[in-house]
Amino acid sequence: MSKIQGFFQLSNRRLISQIIFLLGFLIYPIFGDEYGTEQLTQYFIYGIFALSLDIIWGYVGIFSFGHAVFFGLGGYCMTLVTKQMIPYLTFFHSTYAGLIFGIGIPALFAVLLGYFLFYSRIAGPYFAILMCAISVIFERVAVDWYYVGGFNGIFDIPPLTLSIPKLYAYEITQPTLLYYVILGITIGSYIFCSRIVHSPFGSILSAVKDNEERLEFFGYDVPLYKIKIYAISAGIAGLAGALFAAVFSYIGPTTIGFVMSTEILIWVIVGGKGTLAGAMLGAILVRFLEAFLSGIMAYYWILLLAFIFIISVMFFPKGIFGYLFSED
Amino acid sequence: MDLAPFIIQVLNSLNFILILILVALGLGIIFGLMGVINMAHGEFFLLGAYTVVMVARVGISFWMSLMVSAIAVGLIGLIIEFLCIRYLYERPMDTILATWGISIGIKQAIILVFGPGGQLVTSPLPNMIRFLGTEYPAYRLFTMGSSIVVILFTFYVFLRTDYGLKARAVIANRNMASVLGINTRKIYQITFVFGSALAGLAGGIMSPLMSVDPQMGMGYLLPAFLAIIIGGVGTLYGVLGGGAIIGGADSIFSYLISPVGAQIITFSIAIILIRLRPWGIFGRQP
Repeated sequence: MSKIQGFFQLSNRRLISQIIFLLGFLIYPIFGDEYGTEQLTQYFIYGIFALSLDIIWGYVGIFSFGHAVFFGLGGYCMTLVTKQMIPYLTFFHSTYAGLIFGIGIPALFAVLLGYFLFYSRIAGPYFAILMCAISVIFERVAVDWYYVGGFNGIFDIPPLTLSIPKLYAYEITQPTLLYYVILGITIGSYIFCSRIVHSPFGSILSAVKDNEERLEFFGYDVPLYKIKIYAISAGIAGLAGALFAAVFSYIGPTTIGFVMSTEILIWVIVGGKGTLAGAMLGAILVRFLEAFLSGIMAYYWILLLAFIFIISVMFFPKGIFGYLFSED
Repeated sequence: MDLAPFIIQVLNSLNFILILILVALGLGIIFGLMGVINMAHGEFFLLGAYTVVMVARVGISFWMSLMVSAIAVGLIGLIIEFLCIRYLYERPMDTILATWGISIGIKQAIILVFGPGGQLVTSPLPNMIRFLGTEYPAYRLFTMGSSIVVILFTFYVFLRTDYGLKARAVIANRNMASVLGINTRKIYQITFVFGSALAGLAGGIMSPLMSVDPQMGMGYLLPAFLAIIIGGVGTLYGVLGGGAIIGGADSIFSYLISPVGAQIITFSIAIILIRLRPWGIFGRQP
């Protein structure tokens, strides 16, 4: 037991909560209907996206108010690659290539953005507003650029495909199988992030959050650390976007812009910022409630959501799931 | 050579710049003085416009309804400050989130009451006036004139009144001002109400020129934020400069390229300017 605990670096409460949720998700397709399984598959993708924001917002204190840029960029890259829409690169169209571009391009963009912004000491609200402006710029470009679908976006994106070039290809479209594939990727991303958070690199990151200036006096190149974690976060967001494009078979300007950037804030805050699992479960819970309640309550649902959000911000900084997964 | 289209273009740009400054002024004093990022400011603008719509239904004249919109939105600001903002003065980053929640709530409440469609406000001055050798809508001239009056009034309040003196003391050094016996909480409250009222008034003034719909506030929020950062947070003159740069660039590129292209270019220019001078054009380098 202590060995497993050592591997995940957990307190008991956290470990038990994690095992319960994991078992719940593992057995869900056996009891749930096909529609529910498909929905949950989609919510996992939002969960990965929420995870990517939480790792920089909750642990490093960088408030990325335009995180959908990386999600959308990942989705568009996946789409352009698998639909063979990039000139001269049409021979390169497997799911693997799509994922490589979908993760790599957002991470690369985050590095460039980081070099541009973090070395100028733009932080806090200034960074938030600049990221917001950047996400709006990307949304406008996506709307205005007809080659990438313009306002309507792109449809008929190929599904995730397991393939060996020229020999074998299997399209993962069977809902239960797709569910377990996405669940596996979600758990993988979660373990990856919690390993980062609990590594020596992670300790420096939480020091950035607590006192950036003091860390600098100790001789650490703080902006460089910020750039690294920002690139990791952007890569995970890009992964979520790429999976979104393949699973929904659609990508459009709303996924890269302001709407998606702000929706994710609600998931992370309601679920619990700074706990990784809390943020993911927040995305799943809010999406679930939305599907369930927006039919019954219509417009009142958003009003209720806004209210829950404001109350969470003011009085429950650890959100709904924060207590289960926090380390103290 | 016919200068008329050029002059009309310049007047339209000025119109946009002045309204942007009016919105940014409220946002800027709240940000500069309280450190509160008010994401609901666009919705205060929206509420101002809807107040004019509602008051018009009761049958009160348009000019009175402008006053009503400033007072009503000021009161809403007071309620929001009392219920929410005052708990968050120690956590400025969380004000972005809380006010964003408020903005969603207000927008949704408006949709529930008025529906998602646009409302039309009939212009109280539908005629054209000969101005600088061209025909120009009288109401747009009124918009510019009233914006200038309100901007001057704001400067008067901050530079010549007792409240303004205290407010500037709080901007310069919050702790020192508090030690000298200034009730900073009171100053914060007045500032939030004043900023909200400015947004409400701007929304009221703009209502006959725009389609009054639940999304109208969003278009002004981000340009206004960029304007105050470019100008320099905490400086009143900075808001004028930043508003002129953002509004001017947007108008010029809308005319030369397209509104969408203009937004892309303007935001990019703003990001580069902020990167080069994070303390703002009129702000002091720390």
